[in-house]
Amino acid sequence: MTEPLLSVSDLEVEFDTYGGTIHAVRGVNFDVHAGKTLAIVGESGCGKSVTVQSIMGLIPVPPGRITSGTAMLSGHDILQSSTVNGQDIRGDRIGMIFQDPMTSLNPTMNIGSQIAETLIVHRGYTRKQAFQRAVELLDLSKIPEADKRARQYPFEFSGGMLQRAMIAMAIACEPDILIADEPTTALDVTIQAQILDLLTDLQRENGMAIVLITHDLGVVARMADEVMVMYAGEVVEEGTVDEIFYNPGHPYTVGLKAAMPTNNPDTDLRLTPIDGSPPDLFDPPPGCGYCARCPEAMQICKDTPPDTFQLADGHTARCWLHHEGRQAAQT
Amino acid sequence: MGRYAGKRIVQGIITVWFIATATFFAMHAVPGDPLSGEKAMTEQIQSNLKAKYGLDQPLMTQYAIYLANIARGDFGISFTQENRSVNDIIKEHFPVSATLGILAIFFAGLGGVLWGALTALYRNRLPDTIIMFLVILGISVPSFVIAALGQLSIVNLNDLTGISWLPIGGWGTVWHMIVPSLVLGLSTMAYLTRLMRSSMLEIVSADFVRTARSKGLPPTQIFTRHQLRNAILPVITVLGPSIAAITTGGFVVEIIFAIPGLGRYFVQAVQQLDYTVIMGTTVFYGGFLVIMVILVDLIYGLIDPRVRLE
Repeated sequence: MTEPLLSVSDLEVEFDTYGGTIHAVRGVNFDVHAGKTLAIVGESGCGKSVTVQSIMGLIPVPPGRITSGTAMLSGHDILQSSTVNGQDIRGDRIGMIFQDPMTSLNPTMNIGSQIAETLIVHRGYTRKQAFQRAVELLDLSKIPEADKRARQYPFEFSGGMLQRAMIAMAIACEPDILIADEPTTALDVTIQAQILDLLTDLQRENGMAIVLITHDLGVVARMADEVMVMYAGEVVEEGTVDEIFYNPGHPYTVGLKAAMPTNNPDTDLRLTPIDGSPPDLFDPPPGCGYCARCPEAMQICKDTPPDTFQLADGHTARCWLHHEGRQAAQT
Repeated sequence: MGRYAGKRIVQGIITVWFIATATFFAMHAVPGDPLSGEKAMTEQIQSNLKAKYGLDQPLMTQYAIYLANIARGDFGISFTQENRSVNDIIKEHFPVSATLGILAIFFAGLGGVLWGALTALYRNRLPDTIIMFLVILGISVPSFVIAALGQLSIVNLNDLTGISWLPIGGWGTVWHMIVPSLVLGLSTMAYLTRLMRSSMLEIVSADFVRTARSKGLPPTQIFTRHQLRNAILPVITVLGPSIAAITTGGFVVEIIFAIPGLGRYFVQAVQQLDYTVIMGTTVFYGGFLVIMVILVDLIYGLIDPRVRLE
């Protein structure tokens, strides 16, 4: 595989709270490749958003703290500085869109100016140039009557339109990477599809990488090239989208798939939810984080963190089920 | 925006009419009239005077005459002060009160926003604790106490240094204005500080501020354009009522600092049942406050597009 654009290794993030220290992200490694889409999936509270927000430097410090790890972008660790070769990371090299477009835009500034701001700061455009470019970007994001819309305020937009405007804002400086933190969760299904199409189109045109955070496996199947499954602050499985869907190697991935509704009307299968809830991250379990909910848990899972096993080219899972000894016992 | 302003102005005119009516009937409900003093007058003289001033007419007729006069901008002649029309009194003394009030509002608004933002940024740290303690003091100590303390401080300062830095009372130069307007604006400033602090704390963790940071904007720009501008909205909302609080609070401060403002005349007129002066000053103050509130609403509309465009 080619050299990754962004390479995150051994990332650990903690939060100090009144209840104690939360170990939100515990040793996460992943690569982002140019022009590809990496999906990070997992249920709420498993560290997906914290992972990407740490990379963007959006974690409030204190109470947040990045205790170890590096994120290499063009040979520079961006966890340590906010620029790479004189270019800002936030807004310039990496753009980001958020879950709730209704609250993610400043209610007292018009849409065009909010997009223009980025260009003025990072590209040194004049106010007029930047606004002009903002209108083009809105047009690119398939907002009709862009020049009129640019002068309007967020409360005059619908949710889907706002998310388009957010996308226009995030891609204003043609970033190498677009991080989308649950971009469609707050939108209804038809709008969801339009937004995802828009992201795909933009990716094809600009060749940017997308890091897509979601807990919707339908979105993953549609968008992702590679998938990273996170649970309790750790990556439990990683692989190409086909490998993850057709050959899942971790019981949690299997569980997520079983909990996904199908659109086949003939099926009379019931949805199988995953019982229980994620572990308390104040005091993470010593062994596998998923152990307590895992239908196939073994004695070893309780006290020894699983090794990473290679299942196929680029497909890894952290689960003792793939240990030679277990494989031997099965046969 | 034009329609919005028009609507507000019509509402304002109705408010002023209501104030005028309420004051008129409330005042006439008070026993006695400007002519019933200690000096005995014969029945004949009194009824002659009453006829002269129109006080013998039925109440509704007096009311109609009075409203017609107000509409022409004529508040009449004082019953107790020689040769002075109410318009003259207002013209002479209102600018003093207004200067004092506007300065006080300016101090209060500026200080409130500044201290409020500061305490929010230093949340739960020493500067926050100190300022919030002073704020509680500022809200709970009444203005006449603060006025007296203010004067005392000036006296002590002048005494200690041997130079007359600031006058302790009177009116005339900029130096006369500083302490009274600070005193007058203090409790409002304290109140606005609290308001600004809580609204700022809400904004600091707002989604759109996170968006602004993800765009890589410099912190000062995030502060001014994204945080301050949104946090200031509730402060502007209460600025209208604050102006009312400050101008009425001004009566006390004006007397303590011997400032020749309108407040003194207002109090005197009430004591002497000087009908025209009471009515004139009340309606005038009412109108002034209504204009101020409309002005504040228009400023709000300028800052928050949701108000302007709906």
